[in-house]
Amino acid sequence: MMDLRPAEWVRHAVMHPVEGFEDMRWKKSGSLKIAFFIVFMLFFGQIADDKLYGTQFYIPYDRVFNIVPYIVMSFVIFGAWVVGNWAVCTLLDGEGTMRNICIYSAYALIPYTVQLLLNAFLSHFLIRDEAVFIDVIRFIGIGWTAILLFSAVKAVHQYTFAKTVFAVLFTIGAMLIMLFLLVLFMSLMQQVFGFIFTIWTEISYRIRV
Amino acid sequence: MNKSIRRLIVSALACLLLSGAAGTTASAEPYEVYNYDQWGDAVPSQAGYIPERSVSGRDLGTTAFTEPSDIFLAPDGLFYIADSGNDRIVVCDAELTEKVRIIDTLTMPDGTKTSLSVPQGVFVTEDTLYIADSENSRVLVCGTDGKVIRELTKPESAAYDQNKTFMPKRVIADKAGNVYVVLGNITTGAAMFDPDGNFTGFYGANRVQPTAEIISDHFSGLFISDEKRARRTRNIPSGITSFDIDGDFIFTCSSSSTQTTDTVKKLNAAGKNIFADKEVTFGDYTPMYDTSQNRVLSSAITDIDIAEDGCINCLDQTSGRIFQYDEECGLLFITGGIAKQLGGFTQPAAIESCGEKLYVLDRTKNTVTVFTETEFGKTVHKASSLHNAGLYEEALGPWNDVLRMDGNYYAAYVGVASALLRQEDYRGAMKYAKKADAGRIYNKAFEGWRRQWLRENGGMLILGIAAVIAAAVFLTRQIRKRRRKGESTDDGSQTG
Repeated sequence: MMDLRPAEWVRHAVMHPVEGFEDMRWKKSGSLKIAFFIVFMLFFGQIADDKLYGTQFYIPYDRVFNIVPYIVMSFVIFGAWVVGNWAVCTLLDGEGTMRNICIYSAYALIPYTVQLLLNAFLSHFLIRDEAVFIDVIRFIGIGWTAILLFSAVKAVHQYTFAKTVFAVLFTIGAMLIMLFLLVLFMSLMQQVFGFIFTIWTEISYRIRV
Repeated sequence: MNKSIRRLIVSALACLLLSGAAGTTASAEPYEVYNYDQWGDAVPSQAGYIPERSVSGRDLGTTAFTEPSDIFLAPDGLFYIADSGNDRIVVCDAELTEKVRIIDTLTMPDGTKTSLSVPQGVFVTEDTLYIADSENSRVLVCGTDGKVIRELTKPESAAYDQNKTFMPKRVIADKAGNVYVVLGNITTGAAMFDPDGNFTGFYGANRVQPTAEIISDHFSGLFISDEKRARRTRNIPSGITSFDIDGDFIFTCSSSSTQTTDTVKKLNAAGKNIFADKEVTFGDYTPMYDTSQNRVLSSAITDIDIAEDGCINCLDQTSGRIFQYDEECGLLFITGGIAKQLGGFTQPAAIESCGEKLYVLDRTKNTVTVFTETEFGKTVHKASSLHNAGLYEEALGPWNDVLRMDGNYYAAYVGVASALLRQEDYRGAMKYAKKADAGRIYNKAFEGWRRQWLRENGGMLILGIAAVIAAAVFLTRQIRKRRRKGESTDDGSQTG
């Protein structure tokens, strides 16, 4: 019963929002490799969404290309979600391991990623009057991913509905705190580097004179 | 021997190259000519106007100007220059070669003589001369013979705050004879007088810019006491600095370097701003930091002039630049700068235009600088006026000429795209619209191109899709068959 290969498990999980992840958990399935591939595709999807749209919809400023925002919008946010969820749910009696949280959450991102890429592709064939197709696809993609993500958290930790809602809210809070600390840390590092650099310059001038 | 000859040749070539380079960089203008591209970045551009000469008071056969503040080209082709520091109006011929007459004393209706004191504005119609006689707190309405018909002084109406002095800076009159006066200390608009000289109210006040501070002030103002409210700084828009009239419309400008709303307005007879909904930044898009002066140059448009062809010339006093817009507020040229040389200004005060010439009056240099249109400028003007009249196809030739002369001129890409779209050359329109960042035109062109393509290749497309679907069905069936075979052997091995 349910002897599927990893790729087929992906389809099963995405196509069965309610039980898909429960089945996966029951069969101890899921592949980290596929999970990372999905996050990688999310990264490309974010870039496509911003830079590769059809000219009739949006002409991006292509004089400079900064990759950092796209890294933040894919890898950093996903990493913060996984770590935040793991940290919160460890305290809330969750049963999920970090590995499983990562795999299930990544699988849940598939509709969103597909939506990004599909819309970037479609935008080259549609005109502005037909933008409603793009909107509908985006709406479906985001909604589906939201449901899957919820169901993934519920399955991986074996929570009730209400507890999952709490867990998701706490996870978002944890993500914000983590990102805030990250920004704080980076600005601190910047100042420390500036301080060291100034001392270095000063000393090197003194030595030279 | 051989080496030294080679060295000689190389050095000679280097000299030649260097002199050539120096020749190209040392153009006529003492400033960088630039324009804005589709993203609002400043890019080098061709000059639309080049400085031709500068005219001082001595050149006109009179004493030098002292702090002149206004220049006006009368319908009879004479220039009227308000030479404020010398308390006179200098009238000179259309070529700006010699003075025709000097107005410093006028005859009042009762026969007495009166002299001007720091006249700051002058306006002339066919038969009437209007002088904003600033220090005398009056506006003189005279005939061309120098006889004063009427004197407009501080209104005694309740609508005018009697604590405020009457300090006329600029004056214009419309066709009906209504007189509009810009007052130096009034922010509620220009004072309006009817043809009989009665004060009828204010016209064309600016709006307050809704900054975050003003919005928060408004909400905190709902809760504070009346005493406190009375002591608060009031949020007042900057007043009108100057204006010009073109047919039925009055164009105003405000030289506030902090305000960005209502810096340039086009007012109809009812005082409604027609440019209110346009998302145009007049002057430089971003304030520029000038290292040589150690200050931030944010545009302050001090005078405005409407050319006969509808172009709007805005004079920015901080950067000394003239921003010329077409009638739809599309930026055409940026000319001038702060410089000592010909073509640069120290403190530009007023601008006037006539045909292909621009005249800029400088308050500190005490000169009038004459700019003349270049070949490039002529082509752009021709193209843009055809374009704005809706004659896109007629404008195609001039726009292509513009692009040949300056590939950075982005309005030309819009023009070419519009023309090609009308000619149903959809591929070309798409190409140019993409370069112009004109998404709306691109969308139209793409729609046309897609329709054309489908009409020609619709059958092939349907065949192709059918073939792809058939191949997909076949392949999946094959794969399933193979897999089932594999599973059955797997099962067999397990059971066996």
